[in-house]
Amino acid sequence: MPSRSRGLWVFAAFFLLLLCGGSAGFCLAADTIAIDVGSVYASNSGKEIDPSLVHIRGKLEYMFDYSSYRLLDRKRQRLSEGEKNDFELPDKRSMRIKVLFVDEKKVRLYVRIQEKEKKLLGTTLGLSRGGMVLVGGPVYESGVLIFLISAD
Amino acid sequence: MTIDCGAAKTLIEKRADGLLPPGAEKELDAHLSSCRECADEQSRSIAVGRLLRSGIDARAVSAQSGLDMMWTRVRAGIEEKKPIGGVLSRRSWTAFSAGAFALILFALLLYPAGPDQSPFNPKTFDVSVEDVESDIAVVTQLNMGEDLPRVIWIVEDAKS
Repeated sequence: MPSRSRGLWVFAAFFLLLLCGGSAGFCLAADTIAIDVGSVYASNSGKEIDPSLVHIRGKLEYMFDYSSYRLLDRKRQRLSEGEKNDFELPDKRSMRIKVLFVDEKKVRLYVRIQEKEKKLLGTTLGLSRGGMVLVGGPVYESGVLIFLISAD
Repeated sequence: MTIDCGAAKTLIEKRADGLLPPGAEKELDAHLSSCRECADEQSRSIAVGRLLRSGIDARAVSAQSGLDMMWTRVRAGIEEKKPIGGVLSRRSWTAFSAGAFALILFALLLYPAGPDQSPFNPKTFDVSVEDVESDIAVVTQLNMGEDLPRVIWIVEDAKS
């Protein structure tokens, strides 16, 4: 077989592999959801606004009475329906998120924040894909923590 | 003036080596024409010289032939390997490029949209809170409109 034909065959084989892989990847992406948990330290010490909060800066300033918002940590995990994951939070807290339901537009989550063996919060949320909910209030240093939970 | 046989033999050797001075040729030829023994000596010397030169030439020819053979083999080896290497390298490049492209596509498909470093940019604040509970705090909900995020606020022992 001429070398050029052989090269074309190899390329064709990889192209088919790509198509199969791409289809599988697309199906996987549709059945899973990316959970994004950001831990923001809000306080009145300073006037620092974290650059990662640029799109919600105005909303935070409108809703809360703090002058400084600093992103302490951000964790992201892809989960499918029925799966759960523990997200480590500042100050030895943790957040467990379980995906109860997921489809192309909506997602239903159970969120549980744990603090020293005790349940600080347990809630069931229904979010549109790409939506965000804020959970705030836990005291941290001279301010509070605000958790940004989004699902996409 | 004629030379004796001893001087003639020295001149014969010089002639064989090609080192005979021009002035000495006439003296040597004059002696050789009158001395049969020295003439024979010169004939032998010339014959030996021819023999040696032919041997050296033969060795040179033989060595040249060996070198030619070696270069022929080297060139043949280079020519022989060139097409094989070219095919292999083209094949390897095709496989490598296709593999790399497939890996990139897989990574793009499977990786969560938007890296962690990207800013938070929610598309919607459409959230329904079905229930809230806490063992150690008071929990309230803030709903300030569709354009603002839904907030669940935890009040720990009236601290926050």
